[in-house]
Amino acid sequence: MRYEYITGNTAIAKASITAGLKFYAGYPITPTSDIFEYLARELPKRGGHVVQFEDEIASINAAVGASWACAKSMTATSGPGFSLMLETLSLAVITETPLVVAYVMRTGPSTGVPTRSGQYDVLQATYGFHGGLVIPVLAPSTPQEAYDLTVRAFNVSEELRTPVVLLSDAVVAHTYGKVAVRERGEVEVVDRGKPSVSPEAYRPYDPLGGLVPPMACFGEGYNVLVESLTHDERGYYAPRTDIQRRLMWRLYRKVVESSEKLFDYSATHLDGCEHALVSYGSTALSARAAAKLLREEGFRACSVTLRTLFPVYEEGVAGLLKGVEKVFVVENNVGLYFRELRGVLRDKEVVSVPLIDLDMPLPQEVAGVVKKWL
Amino acid sequence: MRLEILIAGRGGQGILFLGHVLGKAIAEHTSLHVLGSETYAAETRGGDSRVDLVVADREEEADFIKVMRADIALFMHQLQLDAYKDLVRDGAVVFLDSSNVTDVPQRSWRVYAEPYTDIAEREVGTSRVANMVALGHLVGVTSVVPPEAIESAIREVVAREWVDVNLRAFRHLLRKGSA
Repeated sequence: MRYEYITGNTAIAKASITAGLKFYAGYPITPTSDIFEYLARELPKRGGHVVQFEDEIASINAAVGASWACAKSMTATSGPGFSLMLETLSLAVITETPLVVAYVMRTGPSTGVPTRSGQYDVLQATYGFHGGLVIPVLAPSTPQEAYDLTVRAFNVSEELRTPVVLLSDAVVAHTYGKVAVRERGEVEVVDRGKPSVSPEAYRPYDPLGGLVPPMACFGEGYNVLVESLTHDERGYYAPRTDIQRRLMWRLYRKVVESSEKLFDYSATHLDGCEHALVSYGSTALSARAAAKLLREEGFRACSVTLRTLFPVYEEGVAGLLKGVEKVFVVENNVGLYFRELRGVLRDKEVVSVPLIDLDMPLPQEVAGVVKKWL
Repeated sequence: MRLEILIAGRGGQGILFLGHVLGKAIAEHTSLHVLGSETYAAETRGGDSRVDLVVADREEEADFIKVMRADIALFMHQLQLDAYKDLVRDGAVVFLDSSNVTDVPQRSWRVYAEPYTDIAEREVGTSRVANMVALGHLVGVTSVVPPEAIESAIREVVAREWVDVNLRAFRHLLRKGSA
């Protein structure tokens, strides 16, 4: 391990190599492109491949294909590009393809202010694709978290055979920070489960009593079917209610029932806290500084930074904020993740603090809004 | 401990490079935590250039990444001193390039003014390293980071043929600062 002074985007790129990235496909977009540039330079030296495709649709399709050839795969994009990727994200869900999509949010909608920040896409990250399931969304607030959560995103995608969205934003992307950079062997790296049966006995979508089927790749001697239609355990198209039910519930449960294991957060001054400022991504730094300002004025304020946004671990969030009187959800949009938390914290006063800012909301502004409710 | 450092000047004065070297030295050669952000204009020359560094001994103290009340500030040009002086707290240590700054507001700052640009040109042979002359002064006075850490960072970042001239510039006011 060594400390490096790098940006959030560079942290994602470096961590992806440590986590075992072998194939990156992408199309340049601000504020994401420096992930691509770093990997184009460094990944080939580590035995991986980097390809620029004609657009984001081709990029994510190539990443899905590479994952089926057993290469840990990633693509990175921002709002307009993610919108194009959604159809294939759905394909990755039903084919249970391990894949990491680094989504660096910028000001939207559409081209908005391409170089500046925002958190408008927090719900799109998990609800955007069609099919009504949930994919894990991890959100870093600092370059160090960008590094750590990238490794985690790869591990979760492998363990659960699911696409994972690493949801960063333009501020985190270009903020420099002291980052503990680790080599292979210094972090836990999870690889997808492999079949332990003979090729004749292998059924590619049979979870064997669990929720995640072992995954054979192309070229390993197994018959592999990558089927986007509703399929049975063999991977054969099966347009039947009982099969659809079984498949949907398994795909849903394998992610949602992992919510406790995936739950990740940091908190300051939670003991005796009356007013909790809950936030995520770069805005969490504003919230943390605002809580400090409020404490200086005598309020019992604390801050909670959520690093896992989806699936929501309801008991975990509720337990964390059990002793708190009021919960303020601070975010750089019109108040989107607030809706998730309000549903979880039904016995509490939950206040939305939506502060739209091209960079980060100022701590003074956050504290000012919160104080009106105290 | 939490320290806010503001570095500002005009595009072309090496502000971002100075901030990068300082941030890198702190991050990679001390036990302190640091977050840094860069602001620059679309123009290559002449616009606002600014680096904000938040330095802290505990990671959670390195929170909001923009300077709100700078403890240490360096202004390489009058325009940025005028623009950002309200971000500098009373009692702060302020460094000024007196080659480009003439009008200093009446504040309770500890002001250190030297003609960094003139010194760089006269003593080192090129005004392009005025930023390193200023950094040497800042490090000498504030001891925010050991000089050896800055020199290591310079050696790691600068192309080999330019290392010596940057080191000479950095060392020029270093001792003057610590004396």
